[in-house]
Amino acid sequence: MKKALSSIGNYFKDFGIAFVKGDVWVKVSAVLMGVGYIARKQVINGIIMFLVEALFAVLCVGYAAPNLAKFGTLGTVQFEQVFDPLTMTSTINDYDNSFLILLNSIIALFLILVFVIFWIANMKAVYRLQVRQENKEHINSFAEDMRALFNEKFHITLLTLPTIGVILMNILPILVLVAVAFTNYDQQHMPPSALFTWVGWSNFKNLFTSSVTVTFGYSFKKVLVWTLEWAVLATFTTYIGGILLAKFINNKKTKLPKMWRTLFIIAIAVPQFVTLLLVRNFFADSGIVNTFCNSIGFTDFLKNVGLVPANLSYIPFLTNPGWAKVMIVIINIWVGIPYQMLIATGVLMNIPEDQIESARIDGANPLQIFIKITMPYMLFVTGPSLITDFVKNINNFNVIYLLTQDVFVTSDQLLANSNAKEVDLLVTWLFRLTNEYYNYKMASVIGIIVFIICAAFTLVTFTRTIKGDKEEEFQ
Amino acid sequence: MKKTISSILRHLVLLLLAVVWLIPILWLFVTSFSGYKGINTSHFFPETWTLDNYAQLFFWSDSIVQYNRWFMNTLVIAIFTCLISTILVLMVSYTMSKLRFPGRKQLMSFSIILNMFPGVLSMIAIYFILKTFNLTNSHIGMIIVYSAGAGLGFLICKGFMDTISVSLSEAARLEGASEAKIFFRIIIPLSKPIIVYTVISSFLIPWGDFVFAKLMLNSGIATDWTVAIGLFNMLGKSMIAKYFSVFCAGGVVISVPISILFLIMQKFYVEGITGGSVKG
Repeated sequence: MKKALSSIGNYFKDFGIAFVKGDVWVKVSAVLMGVGYIARKQVINGIIMFLVEALFAVLCVGYAAPNLAKFGTLGTVQFEQVFDPLTMTSTINDYDNSFLILLNSIIALFLILVFVIFWIANMKAVYRLQVRQENKEHINSFAEDMRALFNEKFHITLLTLPTIGVILMNILPILVLVAVAFTNYDQQHMPPSALFTWVGWSNFKNLFTSSVTVTFGYSFKKVLVWTLEWAVLATFTTYIGGILLAKFINNKKTKLPKMWRTLFIIAIAVPQFVTLLLVRNFFADSGIVNTFCNSIGFTDFLKNVGLVPANLSYIPFLTNPGWAKVMIVIINIWVGIPYQMLIATGVLMNIPEDQIESARIDGANPLQIFIKITMPYMLFVTGPSLITDFVKNINNFNVIYLLTQDVFVTSDQLLANSNAKEVDLLVTWLFRLTNEYYNYKMASVIGIIVFIICAAFTLVTFTRTIKGDKEEEFQ
Repeated sequence: MKKTISSILRHLVLLLLAVVWLIPILWLFVTSFSGYKGINTSHFFPETWTLDNYAQLFFWSDSIVQYNRWFMNTLVIAIFTCLISTILVLMVSYTMSKLRFPGRKQLMSFSIILNMFPGVLSMIAIYFILKTFNLTNSHIGMIIVYSAGAGLGFLICKGFMDTISVSLSEAARLEGASEAKIFFRIIIPLSKPIIVYTVISSFLIPWGDFVFAKLMLNSGIATDWTVAIGLFNMLGKSMIAKYFSVFCAGGVVISVPISILFLIMQKFYVEGITGGSVKG
């Protein structure tokens, strides 16, 4: 942390030095960016800088300014369509599209930030040139500068394209998501026909209040609790199951371990959406499993025990909240164990054999060896991935959505009021809020909450991963 | 004697487990040959066997089943996705592994954190951004969605490149090779296994992805869809009675190539998850 602060401090200190100690050319460069280069005979660099600056000016006037001017209100001119019966055409007024204003403003702010960084870098570079000239050092020609991009500055060449992609696909969407959470963007405020505007923290307040009309607070609590329960259950059942299965198959007494492993892997090699949609029909109310359970009398047995409501003639595998939750976890075990088995197999092969051997000589039984040696080793190696799995399960969209969409209908009116279901995770709730109910503002708020939860867990993993970073070891 | 019994028992348990794991797959396979179009709820195996479902997939396209189109769509998307992703991943991993420049560690930490942010969350925003550029319901849009952020997934590939001895590139540098030349002539040829992994895993994304495709390709025009969306659509409430066995056939057809690729890839999978620490 301290290191990060000091490096930020140095960043601005260098800039200050460049500005104060720079000669007249450097100072003029603050306004006319290319001057410093041309003064040191780097004409092409200078011209490029001028062009960049001109382009930025054009962008500011033509793109950033008109959008940022409306950023405070997100537009005021309502969409209007006037039909002219004489010419049989309708004219549309010059309306404001709130979303476009929002998006363009964010892009504009981003571009301005990038330009400022670029400008600071430019000042430093120009000052460096001045110092080189004063010290009578060699000043690169343009061709040499270009060649540097494939040598000592190769990282810039390589990282430019990936960075642009990441900004477009990862950073920009997150910024938009955060912004939308503070607006009233929903079905009643859909651009282009309607405007939306800033509403401050009210969506966040909504998420934590329960009243007769707003039930988001009630639903949020339920969904959050189930999300965490699910993530814990899903992670641990598959993790432990995977280790046990791997141990079982890797045992010396098991013949043809490769064949057994492949059998289990086949189950996950089929795309998940195919197997999940299939399994969902397998366990449908009038599905084949129900027919089977009925014919052997299992359904009646469950009725007598009270696990199935008496008025049903089938087992509500995926339609009753309690049953559905249990089934989802079980089906997830089916999906997840082969993956974990693969990982566990790889790790188990590396357990130092001598430790187990000496424990056995000391008279430890297999269970003791498992708990005292195998598990600690496994946890040491796969600990970070366990937390990553946990985060992934919080966002395990596929399993929940594909198993319950169109099948599970909630009977809880309070949940239904906020478009949630008992079996929803925060992400599936979010997805349905946007995809079916166009409630973007609440979806964004939920998105931010999930992000915070995930980030907290991620940071834990992350410090561990970085600490264990052995990248220099092999080099 | 006791030994044989325990051995038989052990293999019986394994057999039982394997059956549990394979029953749905078996059901998928046999139902794809069923003469009855809907879900057969009383028998596991179909009563009448036929190849019609496969014929319907490939030769009898109607407004619901456009399997050839879906397959081609997904294939095109997958090929471009895997090309772009692989290039981006290689660029980033080489930079992070072999080049040293100020801010490298910070950049790496930042990317790792960013990569853990689940894409599902920001997909509404992605949708609107692409819509602004008129890229929803287009395959270019899908390719962008799948590949643009690929650079963040560099960790596995970087881990592999870390194991390539630095003395090789050092020697090349002494001979006067540029960094670019080292990258293309030395590192890339030596990274073949990990390139295979990257190619396959990014190629598989469009075949398995459901969420983004559903969100982006929402026009309802069947010829635009990918296989996943097309198959999902067959199981809608009004369709399932007529198309369930066709869905199964479609599932089998898509599973065969994907399973093979997956089996090739899986040996790298472990190393990826444990971040190479398996090497111990």
